[in-house]
Amino acid sequence: MLLQSHELTISFGGLTAVDRLSLAVEKGSVLGIIGPNGSGKTTFFNLVTGAYAPDSGKVIFEGKDITGLRPHRIAQLGIGRTFQIPAPFSKMTVLQNVMVGTFIHASTMKAAKEKAWEILERVRLDEKANHQVVNVTLEDRKRLELARALATEPTLLLLDEAMAGLTPVEVKAAVELIQSLHTRGLTIIVVEHVMDVILSLCHRVVVLNYGRKIAEDTPDRIVNNQEVIKAYLGERYSARN
Amino acid sequence: MPTWADQAKLNSTPIAWQWVCLGLIFLVSLIIPWIVSPLWIRIVTEIFMWAGLAQSWNIIGGYTGYLSFGHGAFFGMGAYVTGIAMMNLEWPFGVGLLFSGILAALLAAVIGYPTLRLRGAYFAIATWAFGEMIRQIATILDVTGGAFGMQLPPFLNLSFFYYVMLGITGLTYLTTYLLLERSRFGYKLLAIREHEEAAEMVGVDTVTIKIKAFALSAFFPGVFGGIYAYWVTYIHPDSVLGAQITDFMVVMVFLGGVGSLWGPFLGAFVVQLINRYLWLVWGEGTFYLIIIGAAICAVVLFIPNGIIGLLEKRIFSPRGALSQLRKLIKW
Repeated sequence: MLLQSHELTISFGGLTAVDRLSLAVEKGSVLGIIGPNGSGKTTFFNLVTGAYAPDSGKVIFEGKDITGLRPHRIAQLGIGRTFQIPAPFSKMTVLQNVMVGTFIHASTMKAAKEKAWEILERVRLDEKANHQVVNVTLEDRKRLELARALATEPTLLLLDEAMAGLTPVEVKAAVELIQSLHTRGLTIIVVEHVMDVILSLCHRVVVLNYGRKIAEDTPDRIVNNQEVIKAYLGERYSARN
Repeated sequence: MPTWADQAKLNSTPIAWQWVCLGLIFLVSLIIPWIVSPLWIRIVTEIFMWAGLAQSWNIIGGYTGYLSFGHGAFFGMGAYVTGIAMMNLEWPFGVGLLFSGILAALLAAVIGYPTLRLRGAYFAIATWAFGEMIRQIATILDVTGGAFGMQLPPFLNLSFFYYVMLGITGLTYLTTYLLLERSRFGYKLLAIREHEEAAEMVGVDTVTIKIKAFALSAFFPGVFGGIYAYWVTYIHPDSVLGAQITDFMVVMVFLGGVGSLWGPFLGAFVVQLINRYLWLVWGEGTFYLIIIGAAICAVVLFIPNGIIGLLEKRIFSPRGALSQLRKLIKW
């Protein structure tokens, strides 16, 4: 197992955002996390990446306990993430944004630049490399989120609604891109509302509701799980299949 | 497909041109003490000092995005430390300067460790309180001469101070250029300014980087304070620790262009020149502060990117000015 969480819990005031959540991701697999808004998906990412410290429970990455480490340490250990709402370094160019991510491994500016170009080519953003971030589209900002996370050369990548707000054509391109990353051996956790994306990408799916895991299974069985339909998918979705 | 090597070639022409300009300005600066009157040597020396101080503030306020309102304290501390080092410890001037700079940087690291966790107005308030604290300490201590201040051994050589100020200011700008414009450190600072959480998520150790930036931005004011003390030979809490020292640094950076390499220089040049001109016309007084205050309001309201921003829009060429005007009146 590449990543494991044991009984992970965090509360904000009276609200338990993540409640004794235990899950595991196998090396080389793609795990999907779905659930209604406010069910704790992004909070789980924030716990794994060190943005929040849990009230109790543990996060184990590559056999090491990383609970409570500072975010930059966790990034250096090999966990990359994208933000749900793109969080670029606005007054910098696309290339410079990605370069900041490469600094973990690149010790010179020249090496950082070369690495950043390579990644921009991989996510097909190289033509916009010298654009200021304020001048690029939402789709390109989503790609930039991904490029910046890849620049840290992660072994585990956390994608937080990387498709939200994209057109169907753009979603298709993004799915292909993520698939190509997976074939290169990257382990990925995907938080997503677009079920088609989950179905085509994921090996296993975890369903959250009110911070608790209510189901974990293969994608085709998840969409027929009665509790998941009731809590999240709705009757209409199950009728369509 | 453009590679970054092509990109470098594309950018090479304006960069070469900039270096030629810079070289010329430097040569002119070298001969200034021989061609102008002592009054003007004094004024140009002041401009250099303020250009260096403004750049120091720009390191933490402009590049890192943490507005320090206690930066004058590092200047004043440098002035007193150099004074004490020369008078009480009988150290040579140069050693005193270096010691002042290092002490200011260390103090910044100690102050920065707790306060750099605060954002926006809270950091500004914390640093302002720190500045006031240093002023109170200088006022009550015996070694600083309390409210009466401190007299340093007189050394009346205008050219000497001119060249020392030129050298240290040059060093400030060179450091900013090498460490902030062209290095990983500088990119990390910009990343922190633009989105601190995202910077952490891509592996930037934000706490350490911010403390380093704050220490660096305090080092040079410490040195400038030392030079200033020896230059004017008499210092007291209001002259080197007054709130106006920080205020002018902030104002110059915002007027010139916050977060840019040459903005602080332009800002210091314009503000200090107007300042001195009004002082020559009206004599000693505080009326000129009102005019400068009004000018600052105008800058913040109408040209938020400062003089540098205007230059980039080519507003000073006739054609550029016209196109900007058209844009403004939507014609």
